[in-house]
Amino acid sequence: MFYPQEMKELELVIPAKDLVPVTKVLAGHGVFHQVDASYLSSEAQGGSANTWQEKATVFGGLERRVQVLMQNLSLEEGQPLSSDRDIVVEPDLFVAKVETIEAQAKKLTEALSAEEKQVDQLDGVHKQLEPVANVDLDISTLRNPRYLYSILGVMPTANIARMETSLERTPHVFLVLHQDSSQAVVWLGGMENSSDSLERSARSAYLTPLSLPETYQGTPAKIIAEIRKDISALQSGISAKKQELAKLGQTHKKELAGLLWDLRSSRLLTDAIVRFGKLRYTYVVVGWIPADSIDDLSARIKSISKDTIIETFPTDRDASSVPVSLGTSKYLRPFQLLVTTYARPRYGEIDPTILIAITFPLLYGAMFGDIGHGLLLALLGGLIMSGKVKALNSFKSLGGLILACGSLAMVFGVAYGSIFGNEEFLPTLYKPIIQPYHDIMPTLEAAIAAGIVILNLGFLIGIYNAVKLRDWGRVFFDAKGVTGLLLYWALILALIGAYKEVTLAPAPLLMVMAGIGVVGVTFAEVFKHLIIGHRPLIEGGIGTYAVQAFFELFEAFISYLSNTLSYVRVGAFAVAHGGLSSVIFLLAGDNMATVGYWVAVIIGTLFITVVEGLIVGIQTMRLEYYEFFSKFFTGGGMRFEPLKLQSAGEK
Amino acid sequence: MSGGVSGYASINARVRVMYSTLLTSQAYSDLSETIDAEALLAALKRTDYGPYLDKVKDRSLTPRRAVFQMKQRLADAYGSVIHSCPQGARPMLAQLYRHFEVDNLKAVLRGIVAGASWDRIRFVLFPMTSTVLPAQAMVESGNVTTAVEMLRSTPYYETLSFAMKRYSTEQSLFPLEIALDLNYWRNLWSLIGRLSGQDRAQAKRIIGSLVDMNNLMWAIRYRVYHKVSEEELINYTLPFGHHVRDEDIRAIAAGADIAQVIERIWPDIDDAAEMIHDPHLGLPHLEHELRRRLADYCRAAFVGDPFHVGIPLAFVLLNEMEIQDLTVLIEAKATDKPPAEFRPYLVLGGEPA
Repeated sequence: MFYPQEMKELELVIPAKDLVPVTKVLAGHGVFHQVDASYLSSEAQGGSANTWQEKATVFGGLERRVQVLMQNLSLEEGQPLSSDRDIVVEPDLFVAKVETIEAQAKKLTEALSAEEKQVDQLDGVHKQLEPVANVDLDISTLRNPRYLYSILGVMPTANIARMETSLERTPHVFLVLHQDSSQAVVWLGGMENSSDSLERSARSAYLTPLSLPETYQGTPAKIIAEIRKDISALQSGISAKKQELAKLGQTHKKELAGLLWDLRSSRLLTDAIVRFGKLRYTYVVVGWIPADSIDDLSARIKSISKDTIIETFPTDRDASSVPVSLGTSKYLRPFQLLVTTYARPRYGEIDPTILIAITFPLLYGAMFGDIGHGLLLALLGGLIMSGKVKALNSFKSLGGLILACGSLAMVFGVAYGSIFGNEEFLPTLYKPIIQPYHDIMPTLEAAIAAGIVILNLGFLIGIYNAVKLRDWGRVFFDAKGVTGLLLYWALILALIGAYKEVTLAPAPLLMVMAGIGVVGVTFAEVFKHLIIGHRPLIEGGIGTYAVQAFFELFEAFISYLSNTLSYVRVGAFAVAHGGLSSVIFLLAGDNMATVGYWVAVIIGTLFITVVEGLIVGIQTMRLEYYEFFSKFFTGGGMRFEPLKLQSAGEK
Repeated sequence: MSGGVSGYASINARVRVMYSTLLTSQAYSDLSETIDAEALLAALKRTDYGPYLDKVKDRSLTPRRAVFQMKQRLADAYGSVIHSCPQGARPMLAQLYRHFEVDNLKAVLRGIVAGASWDRIRFVLFPMTSTVLPAQAMVESGNVTTAVEMLRSTPYYETLSFAMKRYSTEQSLFPLEIALDLNYWRNLWSLIGRLSGQDRAQAKRIIGSLVDMNNLMWAIRYRVYHKVSEEELINYTLPFGHHVRDEDIRAIAAGADIAQVIERIWPDIDDAAEMIHDPHLGLPHLEHELRRRLADYCRAAFVGDPFHVGIPLAFVLLNEMEIQDLTVLIEAKATDKPPAEFRPYLVLGGEPA
């Protein structure tokens, strides 16, 4: 639960005769993460490897052709039609099928594409003419002038100044008829005998002449009207052709879907084989597999190929090359999303999903503690999760998170005695633990105390991670290691003592803790090098090291302080929540009998739930990412991407 | 994060540490003396490029792949610098980094025209950590028009859509590449204009020198090799820079003696006439000379007041020049060139650091 799934390195030696069935098993169960082993191929086998490469390319090309065809016929890709696709390793078998359907659709799609292109072209001319619609000039007179060189066209706005510079020595008239930040409609005119210079300048400044078909005559306004009419006629033709294509699509729907998935499976299979190492009579396959899937996969492979040699190797300590599979339960998935948005844990590193699943709703609830608003939020989360409102489906992955945050907001609402921002009503029924709006300082102090607890948790997990990786340098001599923790505690105890005017620890003890911390953090690199036997102890000269060490120590002090004080926002938001809600009731007035009162209250409540809810969410994320995660979480793990035939094309 | 001392204190320390990891002249000398490409790569594995080269098995570590791997260090350096810089300077640094994306885009378009496969192109591209280019799909489309259509939601589409009209009539990538370059440098210069105080002065000095080099070399090459007209040359160049003024570019466009223009800008370059006389040999030499001057500007940024954008800017450019030098070295070793032949082409490694 706290760590990514245990992985084993797997190496297979497959006899050439069993290549396809074994690959099918490897790719068919979604547990094998392949590693490119083509470098193991012996030189003499290059020809064979190339054959598989060629097949993969042909399958890829055919798959794209079928996708384009389905797109033209307005067909969805859908899901695989059966669980066991017909994997063929000879692409020729597919070619005839694809070509037959392509031929049937070709005439219609070509006509459709020509008409769509024409609409685009006319649309472009229309857009270029619109800014000069009021100019009372027959554009056709500019077409083939005898003594004048003239271009009406569009160019990048950024090129205007440079083009004017380039024409400084050529007599000309240059008018910008309309411009926005990216493009301008311009007219460039001059004497016919300067046409070479003008033409060269216009071309090199990317001035594109307006491509107005000869059939359009008259003023811009007249041409615009004609173009609109033509576009409308073309669009009717386009929709008729689309209907015909859709009809054709329905005829071939099943066949194309089958073809697409067969091709996709075959392409994936051949792609996988291309990455195998090819020896004289065998293929070498290298990859990663979750440790608990080895027996099952081995049994399946042995059942179809007794001669295949299967070997597993212990996981190398170089965590960066091991893919990471996070086997989280579906209830924790929204929180996993928060973790992977920040970074994927490295192999062997603690997966903070469970921690964030506890701390995120807690911090959120503390900031947004209110029974009423929390209930609204929880209902929204439940509604999103249910999938009953289609418009909210794109937020489905966040439903659980919102529900958890809303629920914790309600719990804290009970503790604060707050319902829809009202902190007066509930205290008449019971005594709340704390009322943020009235007990401001205790609330802020409690928030900082909670921050200190969370940060210490972060420190301890970071140290534990380092112990597990046997990185003793990081365990002891690091701003986030034991010495860093001692320095942090010395700083915190001193500051709390000074603020509360009490002695929390004897001064000599604080001095010793701070001293060990400062020495440990300042000379961290030296100590780390000493532990691993690295020489020289200091790289890049003592001067550079001293500057770097000073700034790192300075940064450690600043970050300890700022990370801790950052949690004050938990209390500040709890206080602000009461204040903001009271403003809503002030705006609504005293007369509850009026419609205006209830409109103001409802809009205000929705505003607080959505806007404040969102801001609190962002602040919570900030606390998790910058304050908490930075203490122990490195991330940068490689995603576990197993070969999977059926979902190869899915995102 | 604000600028000044508070904004730059941390990144200054970080960049100085990274700066100290750049190769020393002794390291260049040792690398130059290696007997072949294999020995050179083995020696490089003992430098800060080692972790990047170690990611690829020895057997697959071709010269091209080695350069690709080393560029990942530069990509990481850019990422680190952009991430740690004060907010105000980030857009400018991000735009500077984007020139690799522009180069990748140009390489992809060239690959499509040449009918190259994705496997041939992928390791020529700069390994951007994140990019808006669907490079593989573009290459696999096999068609420039379709590939450009794939850029519809990117900042490059608008620029390319103007140039595509010329591409369809001229069937040459020249107008597309020029449009991309001009747009890139204009955007970068405009972002420099939004900086303030020391940041702007330093950025103008360093990036301005880079613009000078590119702009002047474009102007000379357009005139000498492409024989473009005055109007075209002006439209294909930039009106800004550090030393090179627009009047200089316009003079070259109008047919002035190029050597005189160069000597007027940099009086200490006294062999400009010879360089222009034999452009095939002379222009690379001139470009190399200007690149060395840029390296000097970058090194100078590390002297004096350290709390400005010049430090990270100079570092990433020096790192880029170092990788260019190492590319020269790897290619020279792979083709058995003696040190005397390739040393003149090294910018940082050809002189005492």
